[in-house]
Amino acid sequence: MKRAKKWPFFVAAALILVIAYLTMFGLSIGGETYIKGADTIRWGIDIRGGVDATFTPADGYDATEEEMRSAESIMEIRLIARGITDYEVYTDTATDRIIVRFPWKVGETEFDPEEAIKELGDTAMLTFREGLEVDEQGNPTGTVVLEGKDLVSAQVAVYRDEYGVSRPVVEFKLTDEGKTKFAEATERNLGKIISIWMDNTLISFPTVNSVISQGEGMIEGDFTAESAQDLAEKINGGALPFKMTTENYSSISPTLGLNAKDAMVNAGIIAFVLVCLYMILYYRLPGFVAVFALIGQVVFMIAAVTRVFPVYESFTLTLPGIAGIILGIGMGVDANIISAERIKEEIRSGKTVDGAVSQGFERAFSAILDGNVTVIIVAVILMGAFGPPESICVRVLRPIFFMFGQATAGSIYSFGYTLLMGVVANMIMGVYLSRLMLRSISQLKCFRKPWFYGGAKNV
Amino acid sequence: MFDFIGKRKIFFSISLGLLALCLVFCLTLGVELDIQFKGGSMMTYSYTGTVDPAAIESAVEDVTGSVTSVQTGSTAGTGMTTFTIALAQKQGVDVETQSAITAKLEEMYPDAGLEALSINNVDATIGKEFFLKSILAVLLASVLMVVYIAWRFRNIGGWSAGVMAMLALLHDVLMVFAIFVFLRIPLNDSFIAVVLTILGYSLNDTIVIYDRIRENERLMGKRTPLPKLVNESINQSLGRAFGTSFATVLSMVVVAVVAWMYDMNSIITFAIPMIAGIVSGLYSSVCITGPLWVWWEEKHPSKRRMA
Repeated sequence: MKRAKKWPFFVAAALILVIAYLTMFGLSIGGETYIKGADTIRWGIDIRGGVDATFTPADGYDATEEEMRSAESIMEIRLIARGITDYEVYTDTATDRIIVRFPWKVGETEFDPEEAIKELGDTAMLTFREGLEVDEQGNPTGTVVLEGKDLVSAQVAVYRDEYGVSRPVVEFKLTDEGKTKFAEATERNLGKIISIWMDNTLISFPTVNSVISQGEGMIEGDFTAESAQDLAEKINGGALPFKMTTENYSSISPTLGLNAKDAMVNAGIIAFVLVCLYMILYYRLPGFVAVFALIGQVVFMIAAVTRVFPVYESFTLTLPGIAGIILGIGMGVDANIISAERIKEEIRSGKTVDGAVSQGFERAFSAILDGNVTVIIVAVILMGAFGPPESICVRVLRPIFFMFGQATAGSIYSFGYTLLMGVVANMIMGVYLSRLMLRSISQLKCFRKPWFYGGAKNV
Repeated sequence: MFDFIGKRKIFFSISLGLLALCLVFCLTLGVELDIQFKGGSMMTYSYTGTVDPAAIESAVEDVTGSVTSVQTGSTAGTGMTTFTIALAQKQGVDVETQSAITAKLEEMYPDAGLEALSINNVDATIGKEFFLKSILAVLLASVLMVVYIAWRFRNIGGWSAGVMAMLALLHDVLMVFAIFVFLRIPLNDSFIAVVLTILGYSLNDTIVIYDRIRENERLMGKRTPLPKLVNESINQSLGRAFGTSFATVLSMVVVAVVAWMYDMNSIITFAIPMIAGIVSGLYSSVCITGPLWVWWEEKHPSKRRMA
């Protein structure tokens, strides 16, 4: 058999350490981030503190799909108005539910989750106003020309301008009362701005081009298909006849979560060190190689959470997600243990070091694969049952979970994800990388004694 | 070499005893569902100084009109003192009521520096749906495991080996369940996560042993008596089964201790049952599945054993 080379061990070890450093601390040159470090991980609200609420229309109102989409866009406007941009909003049109998760703002000290939830679900105050004036607090002061109740609906249409170019526009229909009011207002403000406000947030400020007396208006602007759709949803939101309420919400204070995160990170470090010690003391050289594989595996899992490059958004890591990473540290040495046990046996049955190492890995492979397949199955089910609506696993398992609404508890999804990533990392690091490293390090003169592989001392 | 097959009566008795004990726990202690599954309202506040749980109970009862229980506690890691209010009703309270409760408590204890650490309100309908969905997830995982076993064992040992592997899985899931009942942890989403993980993890141990049986049959010849073949295979797999379980338990013990020190309920209810599940998985794979299979094959010898 061809002898393995010596250098791959050192190259692989150095590579792992470099990648580990980059994953933990990131890479920024001249203020430009090329690789995101572990500090960019997006923590779940069980760690950062925040609110998780499931809203339904008040008084059993049966909302249409469009109405739910509009209600969703109102909530988004309000979250942004509060300075919260890092929110998650999911609408489940089958069950008329809107699931909202948002963390507390960094540095905020006054938390009133009840107030925030109440405000999110309140009936929207849509106004069309003359001009763009605001007072010192940023509240609009222009004369109100139309309110939400004057509107029937808004929708996106395609308009062909005088040059024959098709452009998306937003059309809206008014009630009879609205028609009269708007005809007067557009006449008064011809050539001027009429601004559209959701609560105290400016959503559009078109200039009046003509008097609108038919009760059907059109807003032109630099719209894309999406931005036109977005504006139409917001205007429809202002015409919604219902409020959103919830008796299903949880809130967590940041104090509780931050302590928990630091504690869990420490637990992870302790678990890592203990498992490494166990591997080296019990399995000797294969155990030493396993430590590198384990570093590689943890780094892979962290990279899977940060998503490495700035263009990708970080995965949301919750406390069960961290527990999944630590569980992965324990389960992750499985591949190395199976191989090491096999190598030990081969050595004891009288094989040479080289023969034992190759045979050990070869014979261990089917057992490793089996273990990983069963865990992959459960991880995918966990993600499919408890994940957010647009995620892959949820889509795949939708035919099975179709009769249930979207998951309202988000923290288990994170566990499923880290469990899955742990298994994938285990296949790469525990099998291929470990084999490469062990075969090459075993060529070094000082590691030729069978003792290093679990054989007796004086052979 | 340890004789697992010969001592099988002892192992079967231990398992049956534990399962009986589990049944006794269920009947005497009762099985409780977390508010995640049944709906309800729970809130935890931190405070300094002293509070009177009975006074809080009656104050919250005044506000909500629901029977209330209050428990005080402290967090070992931070020294924080807390009290937890649980309403007996199966609905969450609306935000107005929640605000009223907080306001009332602040009025009672203006100097206690009250902070609402966590507030949980679950609607009964949503809770029930979540519960059914979780059960379906467990069923789906079980079915897929059966399919995997059937496929994996098509050339290992026929259906009897598969059935025994399923029994071992059931054994482990029941042990996880028993731990929840015994420690009086209401069944929550952690329960589902642990059960699913153990389903995958424990089956893996069993398959490794069966894999070894198949390999040994080739090496030792088809004439080898089944008990000897199985026993040897179990012994050879022992190092691996123990090694992996030890590393996993080690990492989960660290998590359990830290979670306990910092009073992280979601993690305690995850780590401790996980430890129990891993230990049970190791035990059932090594001491139950193989011996049970030998016992079955002795009574109903199948013609194409290990074909």
